[in-house]
Amino acid sequence: MIDNMQNTVLKVTSISKSFSNVKAVNNVSFSVNHGDIFAFLGPNGAGKTTTLRILLDIIKPDDGQITWNLDGISNQMPKAGLIGYLPEERGLYLDIPILKSLVYLASIRGMDKNEAKKAAMKWLERLELADRAKEKLQVLSKGNQQKIQFVASILHKPAFAILDEPFSGLDPLNQEMFIDFIKEINNQGTTIILSAHQMQLVEKVAHKIFLINKGEELYNGNLAGIFDSYGNKQIIELHYKSGLNEDLLRRFAGAENVEIIDNIKVKLTIKQNYDMKSVLSDLAKLEGVFDISSHKPDLHDIFLHLVKSH
Amino acid sequence: MIMNYIKQLITVTSWEFSRFFKPKNEAIGIIIMLIISAVFYTASKYAFSEKSPEIEVYVHNDTNGSLTEILKDGFIVQQLPSDRKDDFIKELKVDKNKVLLDRKEGAIGLYAYKNNRDIKKLKSYLDDYHKQMELQKLGISAGQLASVLSPATIEESFVLSDNSRNRIILAFFFAGLMIMAVFLSFAYQFTAITGEKQLKITEQIVSAISPQIWMDGKILGITLTGLSSMLTYSLLSIIGGVLYFQFTGLPVTGILNFLHLPSIALYLPFALIGVLIWNAILAAIASVITDPNNSGKSSLMMLPLIFVIASFLVTRDPDSGLTIFLSWFPLTSATSMPMRWAITEVGIWQLTGSFLILVLTFYFLRRIAAKIFRVSILLTGKEPSWSEVFKLMKMK
Repeated sequence: MIDNMQNTVLKVTSISKSFSNVKAVNNVSFSVNHGDIFAFLGPNGAGKTTTLRILLDIIKPDDGQITWNLDGISNQMPKAGLIGYLPEERGLYLDIPILKSLVYLASIRGMDKNEAKKAAMKWLERLELADRAKEKLQVLSKGNQQKIQFVASILHKPAFAILDEPFSGLDPLNQEMFIDFIKEINNQGTTIILSAHQMQLVEKVAHKIFLINKGEELYNGNLAGIFDSYGNKQIIELHYKSGLNEDLLRRFAGAENVEIIDNIKVKLTIKQNYDMKSVLSDLAKLEGVFDISSHKPDLHDIFLHLVKSH
Repeated sequence: MIMNYIKQLITVTSWEFSRFFKPKNEAIGIIIMLIISAVFYTASKYAFSEKSPEIEVYVHNDTNGSLTEILKDGFIVQQLPSDRKDDFIKELKVDKNKVLLDRKEGAIGLYAYKNNRDIKKLKSYLDDYHKQMELQKLGISAGQLASVLSPATIEESFVLSDNSRNRIILAFFFAGLMIMAVFLSFAYQFTAITGEKQLKITEQIVSAISPQIWMDGKILGITLTGLSSMLTYSLLSIIGGVLYFQFTGLPVTGILNFLHLPSIALYLPFALIGVLIWNAILAAIASVITDPNNSGKSSLMMLPLIFVIASFLVTRDPDSGLTIFLSWFPLTSATSMPMRWAITEVGIWQLTGSFLILVLTFYFLRRIAAKIFRVSILLTGKEPSWSEVFKLMKMK
């Protein structure tokens, strides 16, 4: 049972997993409460997917414990119907009609076939794909195939959904659509673990953040908390008319971190308590700079800072 | 727990079955096969019935007319004047239907435009003529010769008979169907498993069901597909048999002699478990294959050929040490034991023991297949070697 925390639906305690000599996950602990949108963030190869696969019992941890409490009594892996999973490496049966695939994937999670058919048609209508329900998936565009894959993972109305990189490969319009879908299923009672790279999208939906790098925890807490802890520095963005001088910028005394965005754009993280007046005055003297703006760090900036300093 | 297993197993089994068993495609295949057979039958019948102009046989030097007399039954025969022989041979280039037979001392010269079916027929008449001439020389009548050449009259009486010829035919029939089911399954299993791996569907599925249920569903669903094809072709064979009996004028009830019920009751369970075992092996192999076009492991899919070899070995000597071993060894016993039962004396304990080993082997093979699948789905990039797979299987 979960430490008398009735609201906690998943508790991960000190899990570790190694492959050959590589420690993919190292002593990771976190908990997810009912109704959370829990963002699981980290660079490529950080151990996110391995952790998610451990949660789903696809692979076993070397050490540690996973405790679920989705149906109020269970402390082991919950029934398949309570979980929804959108894997990072995803795919569907390309040569089988869309509706048939959706019904099958929902039925192996225990959903009644007729109910699954009705629910699938509702989703297809929302996605304006209802008239293509009997067509094979391979005739759809990549974007539409992504939508079908998302529907396949949540069609059975799971209590807990694990979405691994749900925004990858989507254009900005569809990314916004997915944000709305995630908020909607969350409002309907589905707790969500969301693994993603798109920080600006994560900021829009996540309640909690877990940042992992090289298999280790870098941050675990509320979204607001990460800004309280790491958001009090100043970020200055410089725009150049033409090519910037990277060497000069890296030698800039007030900068704690220099992130070259492209040939004409650079972000400087200014050292805490550094005199902003002198910083701005020094930067204004740089040759070729035509625009200077400053802002507090966003999640993307904090993510980079934490990963680089790990 | 068990109910959940059964429910999920039925879902996966029926999915795999419906993915691959397409009654419409099966019917189209059968119709195409029947059309091709009908076309070949009609064409060959027409080809053989086609009447070429009848040949005219001219006989030279048949002074006593004995050769002409024999040939009269099958050909238009005329005597050729002795001075016409050379001209006749020259004219054969034009008179293509004429044949000259020139009786010589100890031989017959045959001159024709080309060798064909009529010449073959003519040669058989000449053989008869030669025999008659030789018999006349020896003073033996035709009746006496027939008696000398006739086979011995044997009154057969066996302790172990039990209509065994028909049982062997039935055993071969089942072995053939089983081999067909295994090879059909091979194609489906390949598509089902490597296809799902390539389409990256497996992770989504094993997050919902255990690898064991997934593997059991695949083995059962694809076995059912193979068996359905088996059933279709069995029915077709029975219909073909009925037609054969009707065409040959034999009583149609003759086909019932082949439907020996105790044999069917024995062959069916052996065949069923045999196909399941091979499907479990093929599924395990397919689980490790990343790219079927470039995998060295694809050749392992030809392993079921040992079925065919084992079946033939049993018929050669059903009681040798090797065939007794084959009838117990679970990868060959599904065909070898029923085959031995049909040919020789096999105790009930042998049948039961061999069947139990078969069932137990299937039980463990499906578990090994699921374990191999479990470790293989998460391996991406380079295809793992068998030693890598077994190493991973030992891990948690």
